[in-house]
Amino acid sequence: MFIKRYISFMVEKKVRCPQCSNIITSFGNPGEVTLVTCPSCGNKGKVTFKKVDVSDDVAIEAYNLKKVYGDLVAVNSISFSVKRGEVFAFLGPNGAGKTTTVEMIESIRQPTAGTIKILGEDISTSFDKVKEKIGILPQEYHSFERITVRETLEFFSKLFKKRVSIDGIIDAMDLNDQKNKLYMNLSGGLKQRVGVAIALVNDPEIVFLDEPTTGLDPKARREVWEVIADLRNKGKTVFLTTHYMEEAEYLADHIAIIHKGNIIAEGSLSELINKYGQESILHIKNCTTKDVIDMLKERDFIASMKQNGDVQVKIEHKDQVLEVLSILRYECAEYDSIDIRRSNLEEVFLHLTGSKLSEED
Amino acid sequence: MRLEILFASFKTDLKAFFRSRATLFWTLAFPIMLILIFGAIFSGMSEIEFDLYVQNLDENDEFGITEGFLQGLESTGYINIKKVPIDEDVKSYMNKNDIKRVLIIPEDFSETIIMSQQNPNATDTSNLMFYYDQSEQTTNQQIRDIISYFVTNTNMNISGGREIIGLQDVTTISGEFTYIDFFIPGMIGFTIMQTCIYGSLERNTKFRKDGILRKLLTTPITRSEWIISKMLFQLFLSFLSTVIIIAVGVLVYGLHVHVNALMITIIIATSFLFTGLGMMIGRFVKDEESAGMAGGAVTFPMMFLAGTFFELDMMPEFLQIVARILPLYYVNEGLRDSMIKLEMANATTNTIFVLVFAVIFFIIGLVLTKWKED
Repeated sequence: MFIKRYISFMVEKKVRCPQCSNIITSFGNPGEVTLVTCPSCGNKGKVTFKKVDVSDDVAIEAYNLKKVYGDLVAVNSISFSVKRGEVFAFLGPNGAGKTTTVEMIESIRQPTAGTIKILGEDISTSFDKVKEKIGILPQEYHSFERITVRETLEFFSKLFKKRVSIDGIIDAMDLNDQKNKLYMNLSGGLKQRVGVAIALVNDPEIVFLDEPTTGLDPKARREVWEVIADLRNKGKTVFLTTHYMEEAEYLADHIAIIHKGNIIAEGSLSELINKYGQESILHIKNCTTKDVIDMLKERDFIASMKQNGDVQVKIEHKDQVLEVLSILRYECAEYDSIDIRRSNLEEVFLHLTGSKLSEED
Repeated sequence: MRLEILFASFKTDLKAFFRSRATLFWTLAFPIMLILIFGAIFSGMSEIEFDLYVQNLDENDEFGITEGFLQGLESTGYINIKKVPIDEDVKSYMNKNDIKRVLIIPEDFSETIIMSQQNPNATDTSNLMFYYDQSEQTTNQQIRDIISYFVTNTNMNISGGREIIGLQDVTTISGEFTYIDFFIPGMIGFTIMQTCIYGSLERNTKFRKDGILRKLLTTPITRSEWIISKMLFQLFLSFLSTVIIIAVGVLVYGLHVHVNALMITIIIATSFLFTGLGMMIGRFVKDEESAGMAGGAVTFPMMFLAGTFFELDMMPEFLQIVARILPLYYVNEGLRDSMIKLEMANATTNTIFVLVFAVIFFIIGLVLTKWKED
C-alpha cells in the first residue's frame, strides 16, 4: 500500500542543463531534491520538486497533470492543490486549458499523464466513490428544457445516495418563485442558479463551477457571485474556472493563473498583487496647497505634483492612507477629491504574459 | 442497477414528452394525419407498368396462340410478363417468391380459340385464372381491369363478342384486405423508426451540447442505467404510438388486427434497431442541425422505399432490390404478416431479420456511444 501511494505521488519534471541547454527529464516525489546528471555533457545538478500540501486539509491535489491532443499540448504538466473550504479560482483566457483541466479532475476527460486526488482518493481508480461527494456545474450547462426547476432537482437528487431537502435547496438558492417553472422559460442567470442548485443536491463537499457566469449580464453575474460566496460561507470547497478577473478578485481565496497550458502564477489575491502588480497610488485632485508635497516627503512618502496641480502619492500599506489624510488635514489643504488606484489581476496578468487578459479572450 | 434511477429517468422523459407539443405532433398526430390522408386519396392511384407472372399450361399450342395473346397483353404498355414454370404449384410459388398475382393460361386455351374459329356456334369458354393476394387490392384491381379489357377486345376480334376467353379470380388468402390493411402496419413501423432515431439523436447531440451527458458522467448513474432507462421510454413510446395508430385504423376504417407474440416481438426489436441506428448516426454528427439532416437522410429514403406507403411491386425492379436491404422493409412486412394476414411462417422469417438487424445495430450503437470526451 505504501509503495503504491509512494509511486502514485511521483512527478515528472523537465529541466534545462545550464551548461549545454539539453532538456533533462527527471522523476521525483513532491518536496524532494534529486541529483541529476546531464546525459549530454555530464554536468551534475540538483532538481527540486515542488512540495504540494497533502494534509487532510487538502480537497484536490493534481500532480503533473498533462493533456495532449496530437501536436497540441493543452495542459502542460501542471501541479496544484486546493484546500478544503476555500474558493479556488482557475483564471485564464479562453483556450488556456481551464476547462480541459477541470474536466480531467471531474473524470470527464482522460489525462495524458499525471495524478489527481479528490478528498484523498485517486480518481483513476476510485472516482465512483468520489462522485457522491462532489457537485458539478459543467461549462454552458443547459438542463432538461421541459422539466420544472423542482422536478429537475428531484431527478438529480435521486441519482445520489446522500440527499438533502429539495425545498431547502430551493430556499437557499432563492428559487421559490421559479420552482414550478419550466427550465426553458428561465433567464440566463436563473438557469445558472438552477445549475448550481443541481450541483448541491447531494450536499457535496466540493463544488466545481466551470465558467458559471459566462454570457450573463452584470446583474445576473452578481447574483451568481452571491450564491458562490454563500457556498464558501457554508464551508464548501469551490473550484471555480473563470476568465473574468473581477470574479476571481471578488470570490477567490486562492488563484491559479493558467496561460497556454501552464500555471504561471499562484497565490492569494494580495500575494499575486504584491509579487507581480504595481504599487497603489493615492491621487489628490487639484491640490492648491503647495506645502503638502514637502510635508509628505519629510515623512518619507514618494510624492510628486503634476502641472495641473494633481498630487500622486505611492502607497505601500493601507495605514499610509490614513497618514496622508492626517497630513492634508493638518495643512488645511484644499483639493477637489481623493481616490486610490489599486493594482489588480489585469496588471498581474499583463506583467506575467505581456498582454491583457481581456485581449487574449 | 437501481430501479429508482430508472424510474426517475423514465418519469422525467415522460413529463418532457407530454409537454412538448412538437414532439407530440410528430409522434402521435402526424401518423394519424398520414393515415387519414393516404386512406382517403389512395383509391385512384395509377401506375405505368406492372409485373404480371404468367403460368402457361397450354403446352399443345402449335400455332403460338398463347404467345400471341401474351404479346398482345404486353403491347398494351401496362403489363410486363414474367414466366412461372409449368410444374410449380401457383400458391406455393407466390408465397415462396413473395409474388402478389399470377395469371394462369389453361390447357385448352389455344384449342378453344381454334374451335371457335372453326365452329362459330361453339359455346365453349376457356377461363384464364387470375390468382391474387388481396392485401394489395388497389394494384390487383388495376391489373385485373387491364386484363379484362384486353380479354373483352380479344373476344370481340375473334368471335364478335362471344365469350371464348373468360377471366376468373382466385384469391390466395382468405379475408377482405384493403389498402388500410397494408398501410397501418407500415405506419407503425415508420412511426417507431422516427421516434427512436430522433429520440436517440436528441440524447446524443443536444444532451451532449447542453452538457447533460457530462453532468451525468459525474453522478452515480451508470451508462447502462441511463441507456436502459431511455430504452424503456422508447419502448413505451413505440407501444403508445402502435395503440393509437391501430385505434384510428379500427375506429375509422374498421381494421381487423391480430395481436400476437410475433407482432410484439417485432415492435420491441424495431425499437432497439432504430435506437441503435440513431446512436450510430449520433456518433458521427456533433450538432443538432446536422443530426436532424442526417436523421432525415436515413429515414426519408427508407420511408418511401421500404413499402410503407406504396406496394413494392409498384416500384422499378432495382428499387425493389434496394428495399430488401432496408431494415424497415422487414419490419413492415413482418407486421403485415403477423397482425393482418396471419401468415405466421413469413412473419417468423421477417421477425428473424428484424431481430438480427436489431442486435447488430444496437450493439454497434452501444459501442460507438461515448460519454467521456476525448
